[in-house]
Amino acid sequence: MDELDLLKKDWNKKQPDGKTLSSKDIYPMLHKKSSSIVKILFYISVAELVFWILINSIPFVYSKSYKDKLEHIYQNDNLFIGLTIFSYAVIILFIYLLYKSQKTISVTDSAKKLMESILRTRKIVKYYVLYNLVMAGVSLIIGFYYSFTHDPEAVSMLENLSNNRLLLLVLVLIFITSAFIVIIWLFYKLIYGLLLRRLNKNYKELKKLEA
Amino acid sequence: MNKELEHSFVELLEKNQNIIHKVCRLYTNSYDAHNDLFQEITIQLWRAYPKFRGDSKFSTWMYRVGLNTAITLYRKSKRNITTQDFDGVEFKIKAEDYDDTEEQQLKLLYKAIHKLNDIEKALVFLYLEDKDYKEISETLGISQVNARVKMNRVKTKLKTLLNP
Repeated sequence: MDELDLLKKDWNKKQPDGKTLSSKDIYPMLHKKSSSIVKILFYISVAELVFWILINSIPFVYSKSYKDKLEHIYQNDNLFIGLTIFSYAVIILFIYLLYKSQKTISVTDSAKKLMESILRTRKIVKYYVLYNLVMAGVSLIIGFYYSFTHDPEAVSMLENLSNNRLLLLVLVLIFITSAFIVIIWLFYKLIYGLLLRRLNKNYKELKKLEA
Repeated sequence: MNKELEHSFVELLEKNQNIIHKVCRLYTNSYDAHNDLFQEITIQLWRAYPKFRGDSKFSTWMYRVGLNTAITLYRKSKRNITTQDFDGVEFKIKAEDYDDTEEQQLKLLYKAIHKLNDIEKALVFLYLEDKDYKEISETLGISQVNARVKMNRVKTKLKTLLNP
């Protein structure tokens, strides 16, 4: 192809005009911070781990009444201890998976493999968030249920409600629970959507080639 | 990282920097963006350098890291979003080679290349650098057959862009 031959000739002839760097220019570059998506992805993962750990722990640390209530609800101590151990085990598992997955990201892999390792890491964070959202949803529902069956105040309030009002209350509770989950989910989608837009586009393009 | 390693890396990079400049030239369209991407590629190369075994050529290794950074890792920084479209200014050929039609044609070619997507640019880049299909397929992670097919498609696409 004529045009491409011309281009090739020009391409090989060309020196970077006025851009040639000396070693003096290069040294400081080695110590600058990277702003690659892998790094940002890593920070987001850590932030999400910390966020959910805090969300799960803050009520215990700060509110004695919450603690008492929980103890009241989970009268079965073993169940409560079991659940706590389970939730920490899950956190440790995710940290381990995340660490392992981050380790496999290598800039010297082929483009496709590199993209796949990054997407895998992102998937692990996604599952972690999903797990937390499900757990949050479930514990909200269980919390409501226990309050309305065990908490004397709530029970007496329920007894005074007509059927219509009860239905309304249930609907409001369902609405609050799902709104909470949807907002977090959207926020999450937005962050990753923006961060990985380019990667996703290019990965799709490479996949298309193999199809 | 020890000083010796740093020294040998900088020396190699200085000698081969043209490869990075070429990647930047394809994937960015302003002076700032060029420098930004150059910086990021340098960081990625430096980080990966301790694992560079020397069983491949330094330059070959650079192609891979450079393209990976441009296609996958690099995030355009905010200040680059408002820059103007590429206008070919950077690619003016020198006075002694001056040929009006040739210059015009080259300008259009570079403009057309900038309209390609990231993967297509990578293919053009590797083609311009005279890489064989084996290396192209290994760099991008696609089969050689698909690399060949896609390369032909990109050439056709360029032709269409040049002669609409």
